[in-house]
Amino acid sequence: MTLRLNEDFPVNEEGDIVMARRLVREFALQRGFGSTDITRIVTAASELIRNIYVYAGKGFMRVSFNEEVVRVGITLTFSDQGPGIPDIAKAMEPGYSTGRSMGMGLSGSKRLMDELTIRSEVGKGTTVIIVKWLSK
Amino acid sequence: MKTQSQIHATGGKGERVPAEVPPNQAAGSLGSDESYRLLVLTLRDYAILMLNPEGLVATWNPGAERFKGYRADEIIGKHFSIFYPAEALARDLPRIELEGATKLGVHEDVGWRVRKDGSQFWASVTISALRSDEGVLIGFSKVTKDLTLQRAAEARIKRQSDEILELATPVMQVWKGVVMAPLIGSLDSARTQQFMERLLNRVVETNSSVALVDIMGVPTIDTKTAQHLIESITAVRLLGAQVVLTGVRPGIAQTLVHLGINLADILTRSSLAGGLQVALNILKLEVVAKTRGLKE
Amino acid sequence: MTRDNISVIRLKDILLVTVPPEPDDETVSAFQEKVLDVMASNEPRGLVLDISTVQTLDSFFARTLMETVQMAALMGTPTVIAGMRPDVAITATLLGLSFGRTLTARNMDSAFDLIIEKAAEDLSI
Repeated sequence: MTLRLNEDFPVNEEGDIVMARRLVREFALQRGFGSTDITRIVTAASELIRNIYVYAGKGFMRVSFNEEVVRVGITLTFSDQGPGIPDIAKAMEPGYSTGRSMGMGLSGSKRLMDELTIRSEVGKGTTVIIVKWLSK
Repeated sequence: MKTQSQIHATGGKGERVPAEVPPNQAAGSLGSDESYRLLVLTLRDYAILMLNPEGLVATWNPGAERFKGYRADEIIGKHFSIFYPAEALARDLPRIELEGATKLGVHEDVGWRVRKDGSQFWASVTISALRSDEGVLIGFSKVTKDLTLQRAAEARIKRQSDEILELATPVMQVWKGVVMAPLIGSLDSARTQQFMERLLNRVVETNSSVALVDIMGVPTIDTKTAQHLIESITAVRLLGAQVVLTGVRPGIAQTLVHLGINLADILTRSSLAGGLQVALNILKLEVVAKTRGLKE
Repeated sequence: MTRDNISVIRLKDILLVTVPPEPDDETVSAFQEKVLDVMASNEPRGLVLDISTVQTLDSFFARTLMETVQMAALMGTPTVIAGMRPDVAITATLLGLSFGRTLTARNMDSAFDLIIEKAAEDLSI
C-alpha cells in the first residue's frame, strides 16, 4: 500500500488504523524527523484515526508537507462525516472520553504536536488538522 | 534640474510613472512603456524610484509608499537623504552612494533606513546610474527591499541555536547505574522536551537505575516548570528507572509548597551528596571508609 | 493468527510475554485474553510484559495493557512492564497516559529481580 502526498487515505475498518500509522511513519521519516518526533506524530495520528473509526465509522486521512523559509513541516488532516463534536472545548479537556480509550485523544494529540485545529459541526462531521514543524 | 532631463516629477498618488519618458532616449534600458509601468506597479515588495542627478526624488511607486510611508505628492522633489538615519548622514552616505553609482554604474548597500514615521527598517539598496545614449547622466534608479523580517528571522535562528548550545544539559554517568543531570536556567516546554529526550536516552544507554536531576541552578520554579519536571520524572519511571530530585534549596521548597505542587511521590534531597546516597541505597551499595589502622 | 503472534515463555516460574511491535486492535485484544488464559493454567509468581519492540503506544493499547496488569493483580500475580523505549515513554507522558504505580523495568534482568523481590515482600506479609 502506498499513499501519495495530498491524497486521501480512506479509513473504513479497524485494520486501516495500523496501515495509516505505517504510512504516517514513512512520511515523517521522509520529511526528516527524528525518532522521538516520529513516535509523537504517529501516536497522535493513531489517536485521531481511531476517533474517526470509533465515532464516525469511516472517513479519511491526508498527509501534506509544509515548506517555509526557516522550517519545514508535516500536516495531517483527519476528516469524517460523523456525528460531530457538540462541545469542542469540553472534548479538548484531558480525560474526556465517550469512547473506549483513556480520553486523551484530542488533548493528548495537541500536546504531541505543534498545532491542532478542529472544525466540527453537529450532524455534519469533524475535521482535525495537526502540524509538526522541524527547523531547517 | 537640467533641461534635457527626461525624468519628471509626476506627483499624484504615486501610481503614475513618467509616461513622458521616450523609450529610446532617456531610460531606454528600462523599457519605459506600458509593460514597464505595470511591472513597477506590481512590485509591491520593492520601493522603486528614480532620482534626478542631484538626488531629488523624481518618481515613486506603491511599494515605496507602502514601506517608506510617504505619498508621492509628499516626497517627489525632496532629497533622498530623507530616507537615511542620522548616523548614515554623519558619514555622508547619500553623497557617497550617488558618487559610487556615477563612477561604477551601480552602488549596492545593506543597512538601516528610516520611514516617514521615524521607525527604521533593514534594507538592501541598489542605486544605478541612468545615462542617455550620449552618455550623459540623467539620474538614478533606486531599488530598495525591506529585509527587516528576514533579518529578524536570521537573528532569531542564531539566538536559538546559541541558546541550544548554551543550555544543552549534560547527562553524565557518575556511577555504574547512576546518571546525573544538572539543570541550569529556566525550563520551558521546548527545553524540557530536549532535556527529557537526552535524559531518557542516556538512562537507556548507560543501563542506569537511578537518575539524579539537580535543580540547584534553576533560578525559580513556577507551576509550569514543576509540571515539566514531573513529566520528565514520570517518563523516566516508565523506563524502569528512578529519579532523585536534588538541589532543592529552601526557597524552591517554599515555592513548591506554596504553589501546592505535590512532589510527595518523588524522591527529593537538598544536596547532590544526599541524592547520591539515595542512589547508592537504591543500588544496594554502601560507601565504607577505609580504615588506616595505624594512627588513632 | 493474531494469538499466535504473541509469544509466552515460562522461565523460573515467571511468565514472559512479548508484546507484538505494531499490533492492530484485534491483536491487542487477543493479547489480553491469551495472557489471562496462560496465567489461569500456570499460576506464575509474576508476569513480565516485554514491550521493547513496541513503537506506537496509543491510548487504546495503553488502556489494554493497564487492564491486563490490573486483572493479573486480581489473580494474585504482580506484573512488570519492561523495556519501554525512550521515545515511547516521552510520547506516553505527553499524551497523558497514566500507568499509576505499575512496576517498570529497563530490561528482563531487572524485571525478574523486581518480581522476585515483590514475591518475597508479599510472602512476608
